[in-house]
Amino acid sequence: MARYDAIRLAHGSGGRLTAELIRELFAATFASEPLAALTDAAVLDNLGGRLAFATDTHSVKPWRFPGGDIGRLAVAGTVNDLAVMGAVPTYLSAAFLLEEGFRMEDLEAVVRSMKATADEAGVEVVAGDTKVVERGKGDGIFVTTTGVGFLPDGRDIGPQRLTAGDVLLVNGTLGDHGLAVMAAREGLELGMALTSDVAPLGGLVEALLAAAPDVHFLRDLTRGGLAAVANEMVEARPFGLRVWDAQVPLDRDVAELSEMLGIDPLLAANEGKLVVAVPPAQADAALQAMRAHPLGRRAAVIGDLVARPAGMALVETAYGSRRVLEMPVEEQLPRIC
Amino acid sequence: MSAPRETAEVPPTVERFHPEAYRDAGWVRGLAERIQEHARLLGRPVKLMHICGTHEHEIGRYGLRDLLPESVEVLAGPGCPVCVCDSGWIDLAIRLATDEGAIVASFGDMLAVPGSIPLRGETRGGARGDVRMSLLDARAHGGEVRAVTSVFEAARLAREHPNRQVVFFSVGFETTVIATAALLRRGVPPNFSLIEANYFTPPATHMLPTLPGFDVDGFLLPGHASAVTGLEVYRHLPEQGLACAVAGFEPVDVLAAVLELLDQLGRARPRLANLYRRVVPDEGNVRALAELDDVFELTTMRWRGIADIPASGYRLRAAYRHLSALERFPATATAARQDASEHPAGCRCADVTLGLVRPDACPLFGRRCTPDSPYGPCMVSHEGTCRAWHLYGTARGRLEVEAAGGGAQHGSL
Repeated sequence: MARYDAIRLAHGSGGRLTAELIRELFAATFASEPLAALTDAAVLDNLGGRLAFATDTHSVKPWRFPGGDIGRLAVAGTVNDLAVMGAVPTYLSAAFLLEEGFRMEDLEAVVRSMKATADEAGVEVVAGDTKVVERGKGDGIFVTTTGVGFLPDGRDIGPQRLTAGDVLLVNGTLGDHGLAVMAAREGLELGMALTSDVAPLGGLVEALLAAAPDVHFLRDLTRGGLAAVANEMVEARPFGLRVWDAQVPLDRDVAELSEMLGIDPLLAANEGKLVVAVPPAQADAALQAMRAHPLGRRAAVIGDLVARPAGMALVETAYGSRRVLEMPVEEQLPRIC
Repeated sequence: MSAPRETAEVPPTVERFHPEAYRDAGWVRGLAERIQEHARLLGRPVKLMHICGTHEHEIGRYGLRDLLPESVEVLAGPGCPVCVCDSGWIDLAIRLATDEGAIVASFGDMLAVPGSIPLRGETRGGARGDVRMSLLDARAHGGEVRAVTSVFEAARLAREHPNRQVVFFSVGFETTVIATAALLRRGVPPNFSLIEANYFTPPATHMLPTLPGFDVDGFLLPGHASAVTGLEVYRHLPEQGLACAVAGFEPVDVLAAVLELLDQLGRARPRLANLYRRVVPDEGNVRALAELDDVFELTTMRWRGIADIPASGYRLRAAYRHLSALERFPATATAARQDASEHPAGCRCADVTLGLVRPDACPLFGRRCTPDSPYGPCMVSHEGTCRAWHLYGTARGRLEVEAAGGGAQHGSL
C-alpha cells in the first residue's frame, strides 16, 4: 500500500497488488468477519424475516465536498434506500471503479469515511470488488454499494398506501446537498457555509416508526429533490399533492444562493432527507419524533395529498396562488440574468 | 472581484438584501384585489407583455397569473435571450466545441436550446424525426461545454487552460454585455474569444406595434436592463398608445406594475412610469453605458425566426474585433452560417414570442412539443412562453375542469 501513492492498473488485475489492496485497506478498515475471511462470497446469518435489497452507484464531482465525500454518500445512499422501505439496514457490499492515477491517500480517506458512516448507520461492509480503468477512461472514483436489510413483521410502507388526506412531512431543510456540491464544483466563492446533508437515515426512520407506526409512505429525496418524488407519488393516481411554499424549511444560505442562481431548491438534490406521508391522526407524533432526532431538528409539515386535481403536484404560495411543481427534466443550471 | 477588503466588516448599507417587504402577503393580496377592481371597471380583456426572462421566472415561481382576473393576460414577449438568440450563433458554438476542440462556456439555460444542426441517430425524450442539436448534445458527443455564471468565470477558464481556445458564448441583454465590456477593457488572456450574441431590446419593441395582429395594450418593462439603458429608449411606446411601467421582480413589484398599467389604460393616458426607482435611475447607468460604447457598437441582428432588426445587437468595435470568434475561427463561422435555419418546421415560436398567437394555437404545442421533449426554443427555456403555458395552463385548465365537475374540493385548493 504505502509503496504506491497512486492507483495502478495492477491494483485491479487480480494479482498481488489487488490482494494487498484488499487485505491492507479494505479488509483492515471495514474490519468485518466475512470480509476478513477473504472468501469469494460473504456468508450471512439468517436475518429472520423478509429481506429488502437495494443497490446504487455513486459518482460525484468533486468527490470530496463540504459535509461529506463519495464514501459517505455511497453508504448513506443505499442505507437510506433500505430504511425508507421500513427495513433495518444490516449488510453492505462495496464495489470500486478506480481510474489509474487516483491518489492512494484519497482512496484511503474514502474507505475510512465509508467505515465511519457504516458504523453510524449500524451496518457492516461484508463484500467488495475493485476494478481499475486506464487513465482518462474514468472520473477518478465510482463506488457501487449494495445492501440488505430485514423487514420487521407488520411493516407495510409503500405507494399503495397513499391516500387523499395524508399529511406530508420532511425531516429538515431541502436542497442542501445539491447547492453545496454545485458551489464546490463551480468554485463559487460566496462567503457562505454551505454543507451537504448527506447522512444515513436508518435511526431516524426507526424513531419515526416507533412514534407513528401507521406511516403510509417514506421516500428519500435525492436527485430531482422534492419535485421528483412528489410527481412520482401522484402520477396516474386518483389524488394530487400540494406543498405549502412558506412551510418548506430552507437553510438561509441555500435560499440565497438559489435566488442568485435562479435554481429552485425544491428541485435540488438532498442526501439526508426524506418525505413522510402519514394519516392526520399521527402527523404530530411523526413531527415530534423527527424533531427529537439529531437528523430531524428542522422537520416540518409541508403539505398534504388532496382529492383534486388528481395526478398533479402543485405548490401553493403564501398568497394562495398555485404553480405546478414540475418534474425535473435536465440537471438544473444557473440562469442568465 | 477578489480584491481584499480593507475591513472584514460589511458596511450596513450593502448588507444582505431583505426582499421580505416586497413579498408581504398582505400587500400582495391587497394589490390583487385592486387589480380585480380595475379590471372590472375596464370591462374588456387586457393583454400585457413583459420582455424580460426574469419577469417570467418570478411570475411563474409565485404563481402570479393565478392572482390575476381572467380578463388580464400577461404574455412573455421577445425578452427571453435564449429564445431570440439566432440558431446561427448556437450552431457556431456547437461547431467550436465539436470541430475546433475549443472549450465553450455559456450560461446554463443557453446550453439546452437546439440550434439547427440535425441530431443524428438519436432521439431525445422519445422525440423522433426533426431533432436539432443543442450544446448539451454537443457535450454528450465529446465537446467540452461549461456552464458559467459570468464572463469572469469564462476568463478564468482561459487562464487555467492556456493551451486551449476558450470561447465565451456571450448571450443576453445589457445586464450581461456590460460585464463583458468591463472585462474586455481590463484585458483577457490571448486564448479567449467570444461569440457576440448580445441583443438590444428597444428596437424590437419599436417594431412590434407595426406587426399585423399585434394587440398588446401595455408593457412591463425590464428592471435590470433598464438600470443600464435608462427609460428614454422606450419613449416611443407610450407615443404609440401603449401603457408602460418599468417593473421590479418581487411579487409586490410585478403586481404594482400591472395595477399601474391598468390605471393608465383606464384613464386612456399611456405614459412611461418607473416603478422600480430603488434600482433604475431614469437616465440609466451613465458610466456603464460609456464603457459599453467603448467596446461595442450597435449592429443589425437576426432575432430567431422573427426578423433582422437594425441596431438591435452589439458587435465588437474595430479595436476589439480580434476577440470575436467570427474573426478567430473564420472557416467554422462560415460553415455555421451555412447550417443556419429558422425554427423547426411547423414551430410557431416566433409568433408566440411576438404575442401574435397563444401557444395553444401552435399545432405542435402539448403534442409534439412538451417540456420533456421540446421542439422549439420557447418550450426549452424556463422563461419561454410555451413552457410557462404548458405548466401553468395545464394546472389552471385542469382545475377549471375539476371545478366544472362541481367538486366541493376545489374551494379548498
